[in-house]
Amino acid sequence: MRMLAAGITPVLAVVLAIIVGGIVVLASGSNPITAYESMLVGAVGSPFDISETFISSIPLILAAYAVSFAFRSGLFNIGAEGQLYMGAIAATWVATTLSDWPGLPLIIVCIVAAMAAGGAWAGIAGWLKAKTGAHEVITTMMLSYVAIDISHWLLEAGPMTPANAFGTPESGPIPPQAAFPVILPSWILPNARLNASLFLTILAGLVFAWILWRTPLGYEIRAVGLNAKAAAYGGINVARRLVIAMVIAGAFAGLAGMVPVWVQMRLYDSFSPGYGYEAIAVALVGKNSAVGIFLAGLLYGAMIHGAVAMQANANISGFLVQILQALVLFFVGAEVLIRWFLRRGGFRALAEAAS
Amino acid sequence: MTALVSPTAPATIPSATPYLQMRGITKAFGTLLANDHVDLTVRDREIHAVVGENGAGKTTLMNILYGLIHPDSGDIVIDGSPVRIRGPRDAIAAGIGMVHQHFQLVPVMTVAENVVLGQEPGGVVIDRRAAVRQVGELSERFGLVVDPTARVETLPVGVQQRVELLKILYRGSRLLVFDEPTAVLTPQETDELFEILRGLVAGGKTVILITHKLNEVMAISERVTVLRQGRNAGELETAKTSPAEIARAMVGREVLLRVERDEPHIGEERLRLDGLKANSDRQLPALDGIDLTVRSGEIVGIAGVSGNGQLELAEVIAGLRPVTDGHVFLGGEDVAHQATAERRVHGLAYIPEDRQARGLVLPFDVKDNLILGSQSRPPFAQRGQRNSEAVEERARELIRRYDIRPPDPEAPAESLSGGNQQKVVVARELAENPKVLVAAEPARGLDVGATEFIHRQLIEQRDHGLAILLISSELDEIFSLSDSIAVIYRGRIVEVVPSAAADRERIGLLMAGGTIEGGTPSASQVAQAAASLATEPPGTPPPREAGSPGQAGPQ
Repeated sequence: MRMLAAGITPVLAVVLAIIVGGIVVLASGSNPITAYESMLVGAVGSPFDISETFISSIPLILAAYAVSFAFRSGLFNIGAEGQLYMGAIAATWVATTLSDWPGLPLIIVCIVAAMAAGGAWAGIAGWLKAKTGAHEVITTMMLSYVAIDISHWLLEAGPMTPANAFGTPESGPIPPQAAFPVILPSWILPNARLNASLFLTILAGLVFAWILWRTPLGYEIRAVGLNAKAAAYGGINVARRLVIAMVIAGAFAGLAGMVPVWVQMRLYDSFSPGYGYEAIAVALVGKNSAVGIFLAGLLYGAMIHGAVAMQANANISGFLVQILQALVLFFVGAEVLIRWFLRRGGFRALAEAAS
Repeated sequence: MTALVSPTAPATIPSATPYLQMRGITKAFGTLLANDHVDLTVRDREIHAVVGENGAGKTTLMNILYGLIHPDSGDIVIDGSPVRIRGPRDAIAAGIGMVHQHFQLVPVMTVAENVVLGQEPGGVVIDRRAAVRQVGELSERFGLVVDPTARVETLPVGVQQRVELLKILYRGSRLLVFDEPTAVLTPQETDELFEILRGLVAGGKTVILITHKLNEVMAISERVTVLRQGRNAGELETAKTSPAEIARAMVGREVLLRVERDEPHIGEERLRLDGLKANSDRQLPALDGIDLTVRSGEIVGIAGVSGNGQLELAEVIAGLRPVTDGHVFLGGEDVAHQATAERRVHGLAYIPEDRQARGLVLPFDVKDNLILGSQSRPPFAQRGQRNSEAVEERARELIRRYDIRPPDPEAPAESLSGGNQQKVVVARELAENPKVLVAAEPARGLDVGATEFIHRQLIEQRDHGLAILLISSELDEIFSLSDSIAVIYRGRIVEVVPSAAADRERIGLLMAGGTIEGGTPSASQVAQAAASLATEPPGTPPPREAGSPGQAGPQ
């Protein structure tokens, strides 16, 4: 029941965003019903679209876990983008270097490498915070630029550029035996791209919730996030917990970086359309809970993929999707407004639950 | 009306005409009757205390008077004529002014600007000079020393309170309501406030003082209205009553204001501080070589005026502040450089001076707060996993034993009253059978009933052999609990005496820095010491800043 109540605000925020977004479409001279219909059909109208929606969602969900996990310790990890790049680089490097390894061990090593690299990258920011008090908003952001530029260097004219690259900034191919198994049988969708990384994402959500709510470590991280003074008083080593929280957060982001590379089977330059930044919104809409983030990530993924069809079929600019995403975020942020609406509408109990 | 009552002498009651009558005031919040046919009669030009435990309905009654809450039934009569108060505007028009517990001032504006805000002199352009002059006159008339041109944010809390008071005087209020005015004040500021209150009454004003501190009631009021669970529980003349009688009316049963305790059975040494030095937050020396021993079965009280190193002492023992020199022996082992967690394992428990900022994670529920400090140890953690059953069992047991209300392990700590929050802290700190307890201001901000409960727990634990270091800025508390008293002054223990042989006056002088050989202390030192003898310490600091606690990052 409590979980249900917590979901009230985001759901209402989505509804309000759709209404206001519809007004925007109307004002621009198009039919909002057509727009939403084509977006919906484009997002989930066929097995192919469902598969692609998941593919858009998975990196967002994983990166949002990275944002939220740090947030639970009281840190604003806005540099998931950089951690994600480091994860992608590490996994690709391992895969291309150990290309003669058999499949399963290679996949596992790649996953470990991605998580370790993302974790280490975020851990730097955590360590700086703990040791010097450097603000994590600045350090994670700056480390993002560093990571992205490292990837440019590696791919454009660096050690990861394959010998036969013809000047295209990209890595060599991921060896086929390292690929995640495709999980849609071919009689549903031939050549589907949706792979076992979906299970990995679900597992990540379970681990996220398990650490936070079922382990003493999670208790300590949450205590540090809510009242660091009380945590220290309780004998918790606040600095160490901050570093650990950032490392775990970065590990989620590292995994988020590996997944898109394992869809395209090659690390392309600038491969991320900003998953790490979008993830901040997903974390907020998902209210920093494992289930909430999963659902919010699916919603954002569906909007992103649905926009393609909407643009093509209804001839409405894909920017509507960005307006919608912004509106959802706006209404989630404007929780007070939603509570007020609920109270006015006589849904007092719901209003209390939403708080 | 010429009031010729001397501001310092206890004012006599000038007339028996009631100035304010509240009759049959009833207000329900849901199923809770916050006020149940409450009557309040305040005479002209008296200081009238409204007392009651937390949740007795004092604040509701005053909010009704000020128009912030509308009563379900009941009448308000001022100066013989019935009035309808629909909002603060009506209340101000009826001559009612309120000094809120949390000040409503604009920090970046000057005193004069704050006072005239809303009723500025001048036309389109504010006549600042007139404002300064008027405010200056007003503060002189009522003996409220404050510079009208000073910026409010630069002023100490006690002076800010005067600005609040000037605001309502500027609006011509005759009935002044003070909601727990001493909660944020130091003992010295409290004394000054009481002088001001007497001056106001001499100047023709009538004062209502909301409080739950009995010594303040006895010191300043003429009559007392006691509320208990939303109902009238007595109207008493201060001169003809006693703290015990008021306490009985407040709590509804006999209250032991002074805890009964047997002779201590003193055992082995448990805590020894040896030449202990540490710095304050500003990196200035705060502890200057403390030597002290606490043994099993005794309570050693640290008496001192706030700010003489007590806070630092508690934190250093708990491992929350680095030791710059000296030793902390816990059960014979030097733990001066051990982490807090290790000291806890060695049997150290600590009731911190600020339960909200340090003692509790307010958004956590009661059960999670009850394991803070033990979260990583069995039975609460097993093989890296949290043992939820053990956590819940511990919560149920402690809630029952300490009568924590509401008895709900899932209730967030922030939803509990101050007394119940403190019970959570005390219950938790005593739960692991500690060997040494540092109790800093254990009853701060608590009402009579909760204070008695906490004090009884401390005595009981001492009788079971616990070594307790009690730190309190309230001398009454020190005297009623301690077996020996150590006086701290400027980071040094200046004397340790058995409490049976301790002389109050002498302790007071030592707290102010006087020594037997070192001549007499200055007048201000004596005044300071006297203030801490007469009044309670500043209460619980204002609650943490608003905002969703879940989003508060570590500083």
